[in-house]
Amino acid sequence: MSMLEAAPINAVMRTLADPTRRAVFERIVLSDEITVAELTRGSGVTQGAVSQHLKSLKQAGLVAERPEGRKVYYRAEPQGLAPLVDWMGDYAVFWRDRLANLRTLLQEIDP
Amino acid sequence: MSDAATVADIRDIVVDDVFPNAPEVIWKTLTTPELMGRWLMTPTGFEPVKGNRFTYQTTPAGQWDGVIHCEVLEVIPNQRLAYTWYAGHETNVGYGSRLETVVTWTITKVDDGVRVRLVHSGFRTPKNDHAFKGMSEGWVKVVQTVGEGTESERPR
Repeated sequence: MSMLEAAPINAVMRTLADPTRRAVFERIVLSDEITVAELTRGSGVTQGAVSQHLKSLKQAGLVAERPEGRKVYYRAEPQGLAPLVDWMGDYAVFWRDRLANLRTLLQEIDP
Repeated sequence: MSDAATVADIRDIVVDDVFPNAPEVIWKTLTTPELMGRWLMTPTGFEPVKGNRFTYQTTPAGQWDGVIHCEVLEVIPNQRLAYTWYAGHETNVGYGSRLETVVTWTITKVDDGVRVRLVHSGFRTPKNDHAFKGMSEGWVKVVQTVGEGTESERPR
């Protein structure tokens, strides 16, 4: 039996499983808006690498961008983390389903 | 870490419902392997005795064999049954990730039958997952905010 379906949460978790990418995301979360150059400073990786991580974060719906002049500002999209919360929601659904099964069983064995 | 962040870190699932049956009947469905298999999952090696170890077999994921390891923590016939629910593997993310949780069933008499309450406790969000070890407090606060938003949209 399949207890819980693999939800989009896997995409979010896979995206954040990389420690460098996670560090980039944390810095974005802690700033209102931040540029690639600012993110690169003190990160220990190249601007190209930071850009790649930003691309993954954008694809996972965790980060949004706002171009202004020659600069691009990045900000965190907290709703991108919703699947994380849904993971527990899956378990809640699992138990609610089981209790519904229990009701059906009780109607059968103890009407 | 602040208190608020700690609270957000560990969460419980609570589901309850009222049934028109006697507590003894409910207890039988919670503790008889053949009946458990008909609404939950068939346990292997289960006995309603404190210290008893048993397993449930579910779908494997990655390095996790799909076995849920349980140990009976508390047995009060017709009232309360608690057991650990250990599952998953550290290398998994999402489904099949490491879980060290406790499942508690409580049966209470009410006017029109009995209330059956399940508490599945000890979920760590997000630190239960290998992928999230070392997350900063700021990040936990974001998860907490998202959690509040999502839950308010759910039917209770």
